Amino acid sequence: MLEIEKINVSYGDLQILWDISLRVGEKEIVGLIGPNGAGKTTTLRTITGLLRPFAGGIQFEGVPMEKVPIHKRVELGISLIPEGRGLFPGMSTLENLELGAFTTKGRACKDETLEQVYELFPVLKNRKKQAAGTMSGGEQQMLAIGRGLMSKPKLLLVDEPSWGLSPLLSKVIYEVIGQINHSGVTILLIEQNVRIGLELANRAYVVENGRIVKQGDSRNMLDDQHIREAYLGTESV
Amino acid sequence: MNWQVFAQSLLFGIFVGGLYGLAAVGLSLVFGVMKMLNVAHGELLMLGGYATFWFFSLYHIDPFLSLLPSAFILFLIGMGLYKGFFSPLAKLHEEVKIKNSLLIGFGLSLIFHNLAIRLWTADEKSVSVLYSGWGFSLFGLRFPFIRFSGLVLATIVIFALHQFLTKTYFGKAIRATTENWESAALMGINIEKTSMISFGFGAALAAMAGTIVSVGYAIHPAMGLEWTLKALIVVVLAGLGNIGGAFVAGVLLGAVESVSTLFVGPYMEVVGLVIFLLVLELRPQGLFGKSIG
Amino acid sequence: MSGQRKTLFLSIGITVFLALIPLGTKRNDFINIMILIFLYVCLAQSWNILAGYAGQVSLGHAAFFGLGAITTRFLWAWGCPFFLAFLTGGVVAVVFALIIGHPALRLKGIYFAIGTLGLGQILKITVGNVLPTVAGLPEDYIATYNLIPRYYLFLILAVIVVAMVYWINHSKLGLGMVAVREDEEAAKASGVNTFRQKIIALAISSFFAGLAGGAFAFYQVSYYYELPFSPTWTFDALLITFVGGVGTIEGPIVGAFFYAIFKELFVRTFPELHVFIFGLLFILVVLLLPGGLVEMASRVRRLITAKRAEARCS
Repeated sequence: MLEIEKINVSYGDLQILWDISLRVGEKEIVGLIGPNGAGKTTTLRTITGLLRPFAGGIQFEGVPMEKVPIHKRVELGISLIPEGRGLFPGMSTLENLELGAFTTKGRACKDETLEQVYELFPVLKNRKKQAAGTMSGGEQQMLAIGRGLMSKPKLLLVDEPSWGLSPLLSKVIYEVIGQINHSGVTILLIEQNVRIGLELANRAYVVENGRIVKQGDSRNMLDDQHIREAYLGTESV
Repeated sequence: MNWQVFAQSLLFGIFVGGLYGLAAVGLSLVFGVMKMLNVAHGELLMLGGYATFWFFSLYHIDPFLSLLPSAFILFLIGMGLYKGFFSPLAKLHEEVKIKNSLLIGFGLSLIFHNLAIRLWTADEKSVSVLYSGWGFSLFGLRFPFIRFSGLVLATIVIFALHQFLTKTYFGKAIRATTENWESAALMGINIEKTSMISFGFGAALAAMAGTIVSVGYAIHPAMGLEWTLKALIVVVLAGLGNIGGAFVAGVLLGAVESVSTLFVGPYMEVVGLVIFLLVLELRPQGLFGKSIG
Repeated sequence: MSGQRKTLFLSIGITVFLALIPLGTKRNDFINIMILIFLYVCLAQSWNILAGYAGQVSLGHAAFFGLGAITTRFLWAWGCPFFLAFLTGGVVAVVFALIIGHPALRLKGIYFAIGTLGLGQILKITVGNVLPTVAGLPEDYIATYNLIPRYYLFLILAVIVVAMVYWINHSKLGLGMVAVREDEEAAKASGVNTFRQKIIALAISSFFAGLAGGAFAFYQVSYYYELPFSPTWTFDALLITFVGGVGTIEGPIVGAFFYAIFKELFVRTFPELHVFIFGLLFILVVLLLPGGLVEMASRVRRLITAKRAEARCS
């Protein structure tokens, strides 16, 4: 579904990504793991068009993304749940959700999708009129995900969904992500917590210093020596 | 000094304050969406006034009838200005963008000032209609029809704007762009188009204020700077994106200025400017504080 | 001969040439245009120091110009020897700058711009209310009014201001200022006392603006008290500096030259057309050519050198 071929991305004069290539197939959950500042968020931002690669290409469902502006990508089916949630803090929960459905496709089934989101996250229904900026971290994360779903995406990009959340809330979020995937949405996930990321995902890519250093089936990666030492804190046997 | 003089002065201040508010709302809207400060805003107001003047002197169209056409013309001009002069700045880093937008606006203000002198001479002009002198009295206070209608118009327009921003999809898109343009783009909102239309709205709002000024007061090519300053003062007082607040702050400024005429005479404008500087120094947040570090 | 030596000799040569002009011509209109050019050079260069080098775009420059003018005019009309009145004008401008400097420089970027705009307006309105009249000179003085000393005053002032900018450009102070202009946070982090840089720039800028005002007061026969405080002077400084090349030494000189020429050129046919033209150029500069005419000239020069190199190789 998503093909990234050797993209190179710079932020000003500073190059962040070097020849990143990855694939996400339909209905998969693919994980991007790696240390802070490795370039994972940059990769997601590039997929959405917030950043442009100066070399390499991205294809979504066979369509090259070079000429596609940011606001058109959501219409194609790409939705991002950004790092830090990216909510509209002065607007209400309902308004945030409504804006998630801004696309034509979204607006057509808005009421139906809204009900589905309320089913997933009942607390959002209670907080309909509340300003998004005044909600708790967990509620904001739920709103961010709910808003991301309102456009009925084919590919959901999720950046650190459990950031700043308690273990209990994180568990809820992961369950929801699993549910979303089961309903047919492909997911590309950045997860700080490597173990959980690998447990959730089918496949994963390890990004270090702007390069892909390892990739493969997540089960295999859980057993991998390098990964265990660097990220899972397990002593080598 | 009796209460009647005071109250009448206050009333006149409120009337002109409504126009200050209307002018400020346009400026605030534009900054909220594009994060650029258009210091040629006062000139757009002036052009609106002159458009009304032309409709009247060339085609004998009553200024209240030409209110919307003038506003529409300025809406188009505003969109064109955005596309031609401000859009190239959109991709720049925030600080550079704001500084350059200030400079562009400055250049445009000089150009428009000059254009106005060429087209309409440097003299003051005013639209005189049959009912220019009409008014009614309430509680012993005089309510000149035109100046009073300026306040009424401002109230209606700002209310309508508020409804538009809170009840329509495009209005919400504008607010979303103001709060977080990246997320807005991710939702499918075309930032470029939204900015362009918002700038058009800003110009149209200024034009409406300008129309009333041309009928109820007077217009001249150098009035742009004066009105830009008024709008800036109000925006600083009210805080960014605060539409209702801009209206209230505008009325407040008008009232304070007018009343201070009774005490400090020709220094009334200085009062507004001093308040402006104090607020800038002591409480600049609520203004651009959120977007500039 | 090294670049600096060349520049020095060229500058001395030009200055000597300019100094000799009044000896070669009796045409007052020519002298007046030269004075106008020198005036604009001082006005723009003084603004350039604060905005071009230290990066603080002030929209209240007319305040310093006006303070220098009004101080000089009053003291001089009172009987004070001219040079004392003249220098006091500059000093008054600096004192004012230092007083407002602390609160004003706390404001960043556009806050500073609109704040200084407001401040300039306050001064203009106040002076306009206190002294709405025009002052003349005593009749016996008008009879002996001589343009030539005024010419030399402006010329010397212009040379000094340009020399000042040249010195700043090559000094550690200038480096500090530019660091503040480029990235104030980074400068602060590397140990630069950014406030000190800014206030020094403000002081120098205001001093020369004040002196320019004082010279202007000396030059005008009928003197409108409010006129030197008009924001038009600020706008002139901005237009000239940006179109010429902000942050450069030559920029304001080139800009002043063309601005004054255009002004005189159109004064009978389309007064103020020079503002319109420069306004358009200004916008073009901001959008497309931030270095102004100076940058355009260097690009053309490079193009010619490149073409010449091409011709040689083939």
